[in-house]
Amino acid sequence: MKIGVFVCHCGSNIAGTVNVGSVAEEALKLPSVAFASDTMYACSEPGQDAIIEAIKEHRLDGVVVASCSPRMHEPTFRKTVERAGLNRYMFEMANIREHVSWIGKDKDANTRKAVDLVAMAVAKLTQDRELTPKTFDINKRVLVIGGGVAGIQAALDCADGGLEVVLVEKTSSIGGKMSKLDKTFPTVDCSSCILGPKMVDVAQHPNITLYASSEVADVKGYVGNFNVSINRKATYVDWAACTGCGLCMEKCPSKKSRDVFNEEIGTTTAINIPFPQAIPKKASIDPEFCLKLTKGKCGVCEKVCPTNAIRFEQKQETAEEAVGAIITATGYDLFDYTRYEEYGGGRYADVITSLQYERLLSASGPTGGHIKRPSDGKEPKDVVFIQCVGSRDKSVDRPYCSGFCCMYTAKQAILTKDHLPESQSYVFYMDIRAPGKLYDEFTRRAMEEYGTKYIRGRVAMVYPKGDKYIVRGADTLMGAQVEVEADLVVLAVGAEAAKGAPQLAEKLRISYDAYGFYMESHPKLRPVETNTAGVFLAGSCQGPKDIPTSVGQGSAAAAKVLALFSKDQLESDPQVSVVDIKRCVGCGKCIQTCPFGAIEEMDFRGMPKANVIETICQGCGICTSTCPQGAIQLQHFTDNQILAEVNAICQQTPAQNLK
Amino acid sequence: MSANTGSELKIVGFLCNWCSYGGADTAGVGRFQQPTDLRIIRVPCSGRIDPLFVLKSLFNGADGVLVSGCHPRDCHYAEGNFYARRRLEVLKRFLPILGIDERRFEYTWVSASEGQKWKTVVQTFTERIHELGPAPKLDQCLMERAQAMAMAV
Amino acid sequence: MSNLDTLKAKIKERLPDLDMVVGWEQGFDPLRATPLFMRTEEDVDRLIWNPLCVHNLATYLPGLKGRKVGVVVKGCDSRSIIELLQEKLINRDDIVVFSMPCEGVVSVRKIQNRIGSLDYVESVEADTGTVKVTVDGSSQSFGFPDVAASKCGRCQYHTALLSDEFVGEPNNEKAEDDYSDVTSFEARPQEERLAFWMTEMQRCIQCYACRNACPLCVCRDHCVAQSRDPHWMTQENSTQNKWFFQVIHAMHLAGRCTECGECERACPVGIPLLLLKRKLNKEIEELFDYKAGTLIDSTPPLQAFKVEEDNINERGW
Repeated sequence: MKIGVFVCHCGSNIAGTVNVGSVAEEALKLPSVAFASDTMYACSEPGQDAIIEAIKEHRLDGVVVASCSPRMHEPTFRKTVERAGLNRYMFEMANIREHVSWIGKDKDANTRKAVDLVAMAVAKLTQDRELTPKTFDINKRVLVIGGGVAGIQAALDCADGGLEVVLVEKTSSIGGKMSKLDKTFPTVDCSSCILGPKMVDVAQHPNITLYASSEVADVKGYVGNFNVSINRKATYVDWAACTGCGLCMEKCPSKKSRDVFNEEIGTTTAINIPFPQAIPKKASIDPEFCLKLTKGKCGVCEKVCPTNAIRFEQKQETAEEAVGAIITATGYDLFDYTRYEEYGGGRYADVITSLQYERLLSASGPTGGHIKRPSDGKEPKDVVFIQCVGSRDKSVDRPYCSGFCCMYTAKQAILTKDHLPESQSYVFYMDIRAPGKLYDEFTRRAMEEYGTKYIRGRVAMVYPKGDKYIVRGADTLMGAQVEVEADLVVLAVGAEAAKGAPQLAEKLRISYDAYGFYMESHPKLRPVETNTAGVFLAGSCQGPKDIPTSVGQGSAAAAKVLALFSKDQLESDPQVSVVDIKRCVGCGKCIQTCPFGAIEEMDFRGMPKANVIETICQGCGICTSTCPQGAIQLQHFTDNQILAEVNAICQQTPAQNLK
Repeated sequence: MSANTGSELKIVGFLCNWCSYGGADTAGVGRFQQPTDLRIIRVPCSGRIDPLFVLKSLFNGADGVLVSGCHPRDCHYAEGNFYARRRLEVLKRFLPILGIDERRFEYTWVSASEGQKWKTVVQTFTERIHELGPAPKLDQCLMERAQAMAMAV
Repeated sequence: MSNLDTLKAKIKERLPDLDMVVGWEQGFDPLRATPLFMRTEEDVDRLIWNPLCVHNLATYLPGLKGRKVGVVVKGCDSRSIIELLQEKLINRDDIVVFSMPCEGVVSVRKIQNRIGSLDYVESVEADTGTVKVTVDGSSQSFGFPDVAASKCGRCQYHTALLSDEFVGEPNNEKAEDDYSDVTSFEARPQEERLAFWMTEMQRCIQCYACRNACPLCVCRDHCVAQSRDPHWMTQENSTQNKWFFQVIHAMHLAGRCTECGECERACPVGIPLLLLKRKLNKEIEELFDYKAGTLIDSTPPLQAFKVEEDNINERGW
């Protein structure tokens, strides 16, 4: 084998503390090395051309570049050797910058280390084999999980791009958290007015299949070919027949049902359409409250329904969909506001969450848009907002900033003044986080134009006094204790990972952080990708986000899917495990330990053998270190390749061994 | 920095590509100065590390072996480091019966962002190996000493 | 009818449905038993069951996979069968396990150490009380515990953990196993331990009887010792290389070894190979509360994990 070694100066980055010339000289002494030289910038155009020229001139079989981290430039040089006609896996890198020149000043020691690293790379290269990616067909359909604004945007962009979209929404209507909002910051435009048309577009788009009241039960397969099972929950209404006329809601006698859409600030009927703009606009029955389903008598809705759509006997069904990519847009849930007992959330009727307050502000809400206290229906005069409830607080395991609370609190303070000009709002805050376009100006307006009193400090406790509440806290700017009398206390609750997010992550085989938010592939450069090929993220499932960012991510994820689907076939990474059938004894230990289900048992002339499904294998190599027979080898990281590196470092010659 | 004075010892590192190798890169980018004894072998996942690689290194004359992967629960491949943790812990406890000082082998978890931590790991481990000194080489010399010892017993 | 006769009757009863039944018969001299492959009723009459039946016959089972095989086992041998079943190396439907309570087997090596040459053994009278061996005209008697295999002194499985046909009264006595052999070896200075293995392994003649006798060594024709692919071992016959093979064997058996001791028994030069495996078993029992070959449905601990390990502290600086 003829190997070429190129030792990069990287300007003075490497050459400053490594004698690159002597590294190249030493490399030339290694067996199999036919050519070695140093080069100023290996990754530059002349640098790459020199590599190509050397490959051709010296008829090299493989190349080692000693320069920066392979995490930086391995793809670059793989393309280089490929341009010279070599297989791209006949290439190894020695990391003599991050691991040598940048971490030590002793030039002699650095040079010795660099020589060793080059020798290791050469030793590995002698064991390298040409690898060729396989191609496979892709199913150009996409699954979007979650019908909030991020999911809606992703679904619409994919559908407009010509893809068939399957949109799965857990509740009976799409719209997500945004549909519950009255207005949006910083423009104070009506939330349902801007979201509504998009929801209608989803309903009317010929490329979108919507599954509402449905959840993803299981995901099998791999990028390009996922098989998804979807649980369609029983709604007890035949949605094909239901016209959404709402007659059933008028007549339903069970009027104390839980009103999830209105954040339980009021009650609704057992059969209901959550809100007027709901998509799909179909009724569903809450089986916990329906008299017919709980007690066996009633059935009023069945009698009044003009299209005979009621089905009390309906059961959950499962639908199967085949897709090629998945966008996860499962959003967030609110922090449990009862956990801060000192604020009295859940105990005092007039201590409510910001989202409940949003429903009070909304014209389609339970109060018709009039701000009334839940306890007595009176209009409040003094409204106190408490920020960072479940944000930036290690004691409740929520050390992160939810990001949007500062802004919506300012918005709610402004709206309070709009609704009730005589009112006075107070905001207890830690810091104002307003780093968006027109955001800081907006909070300034709340303070300066709308006279909202901002008090920097945390609230110690809230307690009732007569029909009012006393909010006691610190004003850290004044260095004083303050007490504010309030008619209504609004807790700016933070965002936390959606309930069930870790369970879904496990189905999708994506990772999540300590709080349940999904992990992106790279925090800066791959923000909507995950480490599972073909699964993308949009919106708050990755971390708290406001509407513009969620929409942006929805579009970004759609763009990623469209780019993925721009080819008819995908190439699989050939760095996967391969089974040597002769060695395999069919014990199935690799099948047991594979985290991806990428190994299956197959029958080979009546004997069970392991078989790697190349497209599922992610190349971790757990199987290789599990198999005692060495029958399953991860390509490009085989036992022999790693052993070659070990031997190159340890270099115990036969002469040193005893006979 | 005792480790940097005198000549280097042979320390082999097995690092997973996604976390610890990235952490070592981060340490480099941050110019965190480290002893030069360590030679790193990049593997995709700590779950790829067969304990026999560690033993092979120690048998072949390595003075120390350091394995590092993603923190538990943070594996790029979801479960690799959970398997690694069991295998490596068993390995560490196995070494004494062979007459190999178990302090010559260590495993730890370093993420791609923990450049400073990586520096501390390398420094601490290298200092430890220098305190232990070169490992006894399994050669004729040792054989003769072993036989003399057997005669004496 | 003695237990052995009952056992023979049972085997004859099942034999028509089986390709063969593996047991023991008297070997080339009165001290040595040898494996017996019974295909006919006449073969069954040659079956013996006594303290000389040292071999773990489960070793034959993976090689006979796919055929209907009966096997006669001692309690300790049954653990190997459980481990093989657990690892799907044999099929439960294809094997019939015959067993009787075992009171221990002799160690031929221990007898040889006391007598010297065993070239002309004339007669042996062995029961669980005494062992009387007559060699070249002179007789010597030993207390059974003095010449029993070491594993029998710490036996917890006199009765097979798995059997289809069990003859006799189950014996549920359990001796204490405190791994004192491991701890006392480890109490020696490190240099001495290293020297111990170097001198022991220098005597290794690379016959690989240890591997061939091991019921759980399943690479067989693809053993790295001979194929050298993956290139774990070199072609040199250095002590280092020979020792490394034993380390490979031990690591391959980590969490799987049932301590039948066949490796050590088969070794013609008497290297104490079981010590390495006992050490691993000791640690695995401490870490994972696991004993290989006791439960068919469990998973060997190194092929499993817990997100929060009970006995492993997170390491870090």
